[in-house]
Amino acid sequence: MKKILLMILLLTFYFCKKEEKVNKYPNSIGDITFNAEKDDSNFVLCNKNNVYQYFNDGRGLGYEGEKLALVTTIKEKYKPVKTTQSGLIRIRFIVNCKGETGMFRVIQMNDSYEAFSFDKKIINQLLKITKELSGWMIKQRKDVALDYYQYLIFKIKEGKIVEILP
Amino acid sequence: MKKIILYLFLITFFKAASQNCNAYKWEGNLKKYEACKKAKESEYYYQFNHKYHEVLDEAIAIDPTYDDAYWAKSIAYLKSGDFLSWKKIIDKAVDLNPKKHLGYRGWCRYQFFRDYKGAIKDIEEFQKIIKGDVGYCQNGDYHLLIAKAICYKAIGEKEKAIQIIETYLEKNDNESDLFNFYHLGVLYFEKGNYKKALKHFQKQEVENNLAENQYYISLCYKALKDFDAYKKRIEDSEKMYKEGYFMRDPYSYHYDKVYLSQIEKELKKVN
Repeated sequence: MKKILLMILLLTFYFCKKEEKVNKYPNSIGDITFNAEKDDSNFVLCNKNNVYQYFNDGRGLGYEGEKLALVTTIKEKYKPVKTTQSGLIRIRFIVNCKGETGMFRVIQMNDSYEAFSFDKKIINQLLKITKELSGWMIKQRKDVALDYYQYLIFKIKEGKIVEILP
Repeated sequence: MKKIILYLFLITFFKAASQNCNAYKWEGNLKKYEACKKAKESEYYYQFNHKYHEVLDEAIAIDPTYDDAYWAKSIAYLKSGDFLSWKKIIDKAVDLNPKKHLGYRGWCRYQFFRDYKGAIKDIEEFQKIIKGDVGYCQNGDYHLLIAKAICYKAIGEKEKAIQIIETYLEKNDNESDLFNFYHLGVLYFEKGNYKKALKHFQKQEVENNLAENQYYISLCYKALKDFDAYKKRIEDSEKMYKEGYFMRDPYSYHYDKVYLSQIEKELKKVN
């Protein structure tokens, strides 16, 4: 009996370790998983198991009127915040096969590549503006519309947007 | 142009050579040889795939000083714009082997994050370490010195940018690469020196004609009051853009990029 118990214990330990190894990374680096508290349940993907990256087609950022239209829209809407804060803010999200966007995630850094929290007035504005952008191109592969990851990086200098990437 | 071809050949050659793990064996560095062999298994997976990273982690476990594994792991974070994770990982590679990765990190700081000061710092530090030719950036678009000049322009040091590009051209037999004359032309255009700008745009036209270049040529003619040439060149620019002859970067965007809407706006003024 003792041997059986020991065996069960060892097997449990083995499978736990194996599970830990498998889960160290998401299936694909940077994968965003649906979070019912944050994400709109009406935002649906065509193929949640195969979400491309925006550059996979070799064309890069695809927006109606090109990047200039996107930058113009953002800069028109954003109201600079009086602060000494500077650094980068990345908002990453998915553009689905219908050109709709959802599952937005934010990371922030200061000028020294250290994790940082910008003033909420900056983050909330950028999130709202990014969510309102409606000119995203539908990307296709062999005539099939795809879901893809897109990000926008906002370079902030003392509360003002000085550049937008990619 | 010849230099680019040579550079691409050398990249291919050295890339292939760096994948020859036997080099470590011949050096007697068996740990690195084993790590290198393990890391080669990652070639079967996409850079974003978890298996790619797991294999590289195994390589690092074999030899924690195997810098190429950190470099390879950093790429997915770079391409997904995750500056926090990217910087931590690429810093490891740079610390272990600055001669191989410092210039690359400088380029990435510019291309993906427009961290101009950080890019200048890395490239200049790299120059001190290398002492000779620092070579080209990862995608082959620019010599690293030209990338550095663009960064200086971006932080407002336009004279320094001009000086770096002109010195590079002088020492390298007027090597055009893909965009050297274009960026130099834009710098002179912004200074209001239209004749000198035009001279460089005309050289760019011969080496690598682009819609953006035609756009600036048209603006030069406009400033010099040659309105027939202005009209013709802005029409050429629009045509070329629509035919696909423009600056493109699938991951980011080129400095001094001109978009179709800007060309069309100028075209409306002509007609």
